[in-house]
Amino acid sequence: MQSVETRRTRSSRVFGGAFWMGVTCAFVLGAAGCAHDVTEQRSADVPAVADLGPVDAGSVPRVRFMTAQQYSNVIADVFGSDIQIGTPIPPLMRAPDGLLSTTAGSVGIPGGQLMQLQRAAASIAAQVVDKGDIGKELPAHRSYLVPCKPKAENAADDACAEKFIRSTGRLLFRRSLDEAQVAGWVGEARAATEHLKDFYAGLASVLEGMLIDPMVLMVADTTEPDPARPGQRRLDAYSMASRLSFFLWNSVPNDAVLKAAESGEIQTPAGRARVVEMMLSSPRLENGIRAFFDDMLAYDKFDSLAKDGMVYSRESGAVLKDAREQTLRTAYDHLVVRNRDYRDLFTTRDTFMSPALASVYNVPAVPGWAPYSFPEDSPRQGILNQVSFLALHSHPGRSSPTLRGKALRETLLCSVVPPPPPNVDFSAVEDPDANLHTARERLTAHRSNPVCAGCHKITDPIGLAMENFDGAGQYRTSEGGVTIDASGSLDGKEFNTPQGLAHALRDHPGLPTCLVRRMYGYGVGGATTTLDKPQLDFLNQRFAASGYRVPDLLRAIALSPAFGNVAERPAAPLPAIKTTSLAAPGAAVE
Amino acid sequence: MRHVTNKLAALAVTSLMASVALADGSGSIADTRTIGYVTTDLHWAFHQTQDVDKDCPEGLAGYGPRETFKELYPNGGPVEKTQLARESLKFFPTDKPMQFPYIFSKERIGVGVNLDGKVGPNDFVSATGEQGIDNALQKVLACNAQFRRPEGQLQLFGNKFVRTSTWNRTLIEITNVDSLTRSDNVAVTIYRGRDPVLLDATGEGVAPGGTQRVDMRWGKPIIQHLKGKIVDGVLTTEPIKAGIYPWAIYNDVPTLLNWRDMRLKLTLTPERANGLIAGYMDVESYYTWLIAWSTHHLSYGRLDPAEFYWALRKMADAYPNEKGEMTAISSALTLDMVQAFITHPDADEQKLSDAKH
Repeated sequence: MQSVETRRTRSSRVFGGAFWMGVTCAFVLGAAGCAHDVTEQRSADVPAVADLGPVDAGSVPRVRFMTAQQYSNVIADVFGSDIQIGTPIPPLMRAPDGLLSTTAGSVGIPGGQLMQLQRAAASIAAQVVDKGDIGKELPAHRSYLVPCKPKAENAADDACAEKFIRSTGRLLFRRSLDEAQVAGWVGEARAATEHLKDFYAGLASVLEGMLIDPMVLMVADTTEPDPARPGQRRLDAYSMASRLSFFLWNSVPNDAVLKAAESGEIQTPAGRARVVEMMLSSPRLENGIRAFFDDMLAYDKFDSLAKDGMVYSRESGAVLKDAREQTLRTAYDHLVVRNRDYRDLFTTRDTFMSPALASVYNVPAVPGWAPYSFPEDSPRQGILNQVSFLALHSHPGRSSPTLRGKALRETLLCSVVPPPPPNVDFSAVEDPDANLHTARERLTAHRSNPVCAGCHKITDPIGLAMENFDGAGQYRTSEGGVTIDASGSLDGKEFNTPQGLAHALRDHPGLPTCLVRRMYGYGVGGATTTLDKPQLDFLNQRFAASGYRVPDLLRAIALSPAFGNVAERPAAPLPAIKTTSLAAPGAAVE
Repeated sequence: MRHVTNKLAALAVTSLMASVALADGSGSIADTRTIGYVTTDLHWAFHQTQDVDKDCPEGLAGYGPRETFKELYPNGGPVEKTQLARESLKFFPTDKPMQFPYIFSKERIGVGVNLDGKVGPNDFVSATGEQGIDNALQKVLACNAQFRRPEGQLQLFGNKFVRTSTWNRTLIEITNVDSLTRSDNVAVTIYRGRDPVLLDATGEGVAPGGTQRVDMRWGKPIIQHLKGKIVDGVLTTEPIKAGIYPWAIYNDVPTLLNWRDMRLKLTLTPERANGLIAGYMDVESYYTWLIAWSTHHLSYGRLDPAEFYWALRKMADAYPNEKGEMTAISSALTLDMVQAFITHPDADEQKLSDAKH
């Protein structure tokens, strides 16, 4: 173990310098300004390729704080999934564009947070160099995570320390360390080893320092002059590698991607295409896809979701955890493994089932997760009719057509539903009036107030079609002894079953365009703006031409010039687009 | 591959069945004519109120291991001649006759079944007025803290182990069901299940709707077949001559309760089955179950095993041996179950299992 004194010296050195500069930049000046501060002057001859998208489109460079899931993936990818990390990074706030990840460029980091980060870093570093315990079946991580053995365990070994620092530092910093940096870290390792009389403890102290380095914890877009667009800039090769990697894998670039950055290959159209293909075929793509849909579908709300056990006795914590997992598995399988039409994700009967979840669906299961298809006469069709969406957008003890309709509009169609006015009277929906048996009856009474009616008209006709599912997502045919009327409408299209809603949504022109908008914003790390319209138009056209295949959309985004070009100036976010129940299909989105 | 295909095919069939169940929201068995349940809780059946003074005017049984030890060895002594001598008696209870007073319940209201079809002087009357209830075990248990709810240790732990341990799922599968309210001729099969039960949102109860695979590896000996009928939502089976109903394995000791004339009487709903398992409990097997519990557990309920053995023997009321001593005692357990999908191993799986075992 290293002394407190050693830690304090090193930490103050690290935190006192670049860290606060980075935090201040991100928090106060705004991401775009910061990115230019850390710009490196590198260049390469890369011609623009018109058929990859608008050549003048670009995105804003940012400094983004790593998300909790990214941090977890990074540690797992660099050191292995058995390294325990705790929860050093708090959840993000959801941005107006509906994504969590796009707020990562404007977060503040309070002092308490730094302490947690350092505590986690110390723990991770200690695990990486631990010598294991056969009795406790703990592996000796040092035997395979440190690429050499020191000459003596109680003395410094610069050569061995350098090997570890170069290989590990390259992955954590997502770029090759320069000689001065390496020499600095080796010197730190030597000093710590001499102080602690333990080579591995010395190495751990260096690793701890790396893990709290702002350039590890923050994903900073660094730029260089763009040879294809004189006078303008593009991401440099390392930032391109990081942007691609966090977009497609939600983690750091691996050795192959970094090599393509080091050689400059990633800055050529052919080189980037090769790297993107390699990344799309990697098993790590599953992490990336799951992270995107977890973000887009607002599944972070599952972390604080609880149902009233007296009302929904089957809805245990295990069920809710599996509900989230079911939809993510369904999405990855449907969109990537089977390469099916994105729109069919909302009508597919194919999914996966776990024993806990099966009790809510009232179907038998086999142990573990297994592929499962709902029969043709089942009311379950598409991810909208899965427990995750239904339970997440309900109250703890009852369903909510309003919340479900609002969620559909906002998460899947990129519309914005205004919040209720501050003096709204909820008595009609919340009071146990014996004469109002169903949600439809209660909401009809509620809408008699003209102040409420405006917004409810754009949410309730959607949500009422899901009333065959209670607040836990269990199928039902009646409520309060009255047969449920599941009729509804979505932007002019009428239906009377949950399946009808699934098909109406599937055919809604706003469904794929919303995904494009979300996915592009997610990839470049910020909300889309008016300047992005040509790029979004191009991606929409490409997505449609591909038959709405998500791997093709990922490829189109990753290869488009806009993905690496630096935008001339930050623009105001696109204004929220409101829908009305009277709008024609498609009118709500474009 | 074939194995997987079979599994999926089986799943597809059962899914279809489930969709029918969903369609009317009642867990309908119209197509499958089958419903399964998994045991969640067992309690020894006897009449009990909140008022222990009224239930047991003479108090609760007072001689557990600590009390008998204190009285027998007031001045202590060598461990092997005192503590060990007394504790080892639980394995050889016939070595000494009953030495201490035991408090038998004198309650006249009883819980159970009229096993012999007669109304005798020792029989109970049920709370609903049914005459001839046979449950002599009630007299032994009802005034013993070890068995009273909710703190009674043995059933508390037994039911906890149903939720937490590996082999403690007992299933019934009812087939040939016309409806859960009336079926003239159903078959009931008891199995051991292989899968954990699903805890509900409270973390203590068990949720219906789980899936249990029939254990054909170590579960074969307990597969038993009963015949019965459902009238007004109540399943009543004919007795089988010799029955076993497993409770929970703990400390590596199985609790295979051996019954004579074992039968079930359960109120059925699509989600639950609640009622009784009744018959004549074999005294020796009951006692074997009891002494699997260590002395400290028995001490909590003031139950000295050797004394308890004689209490059992005293109240035993059936199946006399050649000496005329009764070897079985009329008794009942309350049985709480939740609905579960029961899946049977396919032919390949069964062959593999048979080859292994």
